[in-house]
Amino acid sequence: MKLESALVLSQEQVYQDTFLMWLSCPPVAKGGSPGRFVMVHCGDGLDPLLPRPMSFHRFRSERSERQFAILYDVRGRGTQWLSRRRASDELALFGPLGRGFAVDPQAQNLLLVAGGLGVAALVTLADDAVAAGKAVTLLQGARTAAKLFPAHLLPEEVEVVSTTDDGSTGHKGYVTELLPQYLSWADAVFACGPNPMFEAIAAAVRGSGSGLTRRSGKSVQLLMEEHMGCGTGVCYGCAVFTPKGVRLVCKDGPRFNFREIFR
Amino acid sequence: MHLRVDLAPKGKRSLVLDNPVMTASGCFGNGLEFAKIFDIERLGAIVSKGVTLRPRQGNPQPRIVETAAGMINSIGLQNIGVEAIVRDVAPIWATWRVPVVVNIAGESIEDYAELAHHLDGVAGVSGLELNVSCPNVASGLEFGCDPEMAAAVTRAVSQETTLPVLVKLTPNVTDIVAVAKAVVEAGADALTLINTFPALTIDIDKQRRALGWGSGGLSGPALKPIALKMVYEVAAAVEAPIIGCGGIVSAGDAVEYFMAGATAVQIGTATFVNPRAPLDVLEGIGAYLSQQGIEDLRELVGAALPTPRPAAG
Repeated sequence: MKLESALVLSQEQVYQDTFLMWLSCPPVAKGGSPGRFVMVHCGDGLDPLLPRPMSFHRFRSERSERQFAILYDVRGRGTQWLSRRRASDELALFGPLGRGFAVDPQAQNLLLVAGGLGVAALVTLADDAVAAGKAVTLLQGARTAAKLFPAHLLPEEVEVVSTTDDGSTGHKGYVTELLPQYLSWADAVFACGPNPMFEAIAAAVRGSGSGLTRRSGKSVQLLMEEHMGCGTGVCYGCAVFTPKGVRLVCKDGPRFNFREIFR
Repeated sequence: MHLRVDLAPKGKRSLVLDNPVMTASGCFGNGLEFAKIFDIERLGAIVSKGVTLRPRQGNPQPRIVETAAGMINSIGLQNIGVEAIVRDVAPIWATWRVPVVVNIAGESIEDYAELAHHLDGVAGVSGLELNVSCPNVASGLEFGCDPEMAAAVTRAVSQETTLPVLVKLTPNVTDIVAVAKAVVEAGADALTLINTFPALTIDIDKQRRALGWGSGGLSGPALKPIALKMVYEVAAAVEAPIIGCGGIVSAGDAVEYFMAGATAVQIGTATFVNPRAPLDVLEGIGAYLSQQGIEDLRELVGAALPTPRPAAG
């Protein structure tokens, strides 16, 4: 693996502060799958220094070339720089990295749970699941309506349920408050969001009697995020403290099975 | 083209590298991760993640924060402990052509001595690098801040091992030349200059320090001019080989270190920017030498010093 040059195909602000960028970089797209990520340089020189981890948001095939998209919020000077790139600009990046989602072919009903920008990594999973004829429900929570991923950008087969912290759309509160209604329906759960969301999922799973236990064979997969330095498992920055010891998001994850994180 | 360097020309055992490009401790894991990604055996040497007597979990999150042209880390020496290194990792190193230097860290002089004892004679271990930027639990001071304490650690390790001993100095001192002289006199074969610089950032939204541990060590390009000056000063004053470390991202950076008197270089933070950075720097050094018509890297070592440095290796 080496630093690759990716061609920006398009860049679009899809909702408040959130940008969608399509990229052409066959060596990186080749091994990409839902839940895996790339490290994207967000500057021309040595400042900002570190590449930013970005999940594969979507894949498509154009004239037999596999292309991918990233979805990101403008948060700091790196993502500000990134948001100013235009079609035909080039970006330096490397990947694909990490352990992605694993979807059991037997699982028919997939519940996706997204907190904030966590939705970025779940859309490609929804695309694949719908294409495979599975039923998909996306529970999506955001601070406010303007920060929700637009449902019209998802395959129409996906059932989208939204919550907002301020009640501007949908249920007022956290997305995890709706979990109990859906857990028994789901054959498998895939979640991506901030760490407190995972804690709430753990509480819901434990309290639900939904059969989401080791015995049921139902899987709950969490896509985690921490401050990352290298993306390759060498700097030990993105540590997660688990009952079985310290794990690294970039190398051991970012996808963890529920029981790897929670007892 | 002659790129070979010896980091322990006066030691009980030599530490000959095919080329002067090493990886810096804490920036390359134990080499296993990158062994799958590119041909790490082309490097001069690999320096392991810091190893302690017992396994350590490391510090709470966040462990990394980015700064202007740099980053601050406070990983907290997360590692699997020396026994697991000897049992599980060294046998893999032993199959590699590239030498592996084990970086060790302790809380007392006895810790360092015991670590050296554990690692002596272990197949796959070609040398030791002492991280003396750790606090001595007895005094609370970093070993490397005091010439006598740094020398005591070096002496204790040298007595327990036949391996070449590198001492990685901290920049957190008034007079780095004094520390360098003291550890060389105490038996250090080579010096690594420098470790990260103590540093801090504040999260202004949370009104508290950004790193989980509080403060950490600054690395990256921002550090290079500081490290380079320390290499220059030490190279002018001591004969032992110097390994330049701090902010190297390109062959040009490495060449600056050679000219300041470094015999070899370590690539650290650059590996986070580009996983293949160590090899890119190595290839760039080769290209630079060809372009300049220089056959032997040793011609460059110390070129910018007031008086030429005796050729090491």
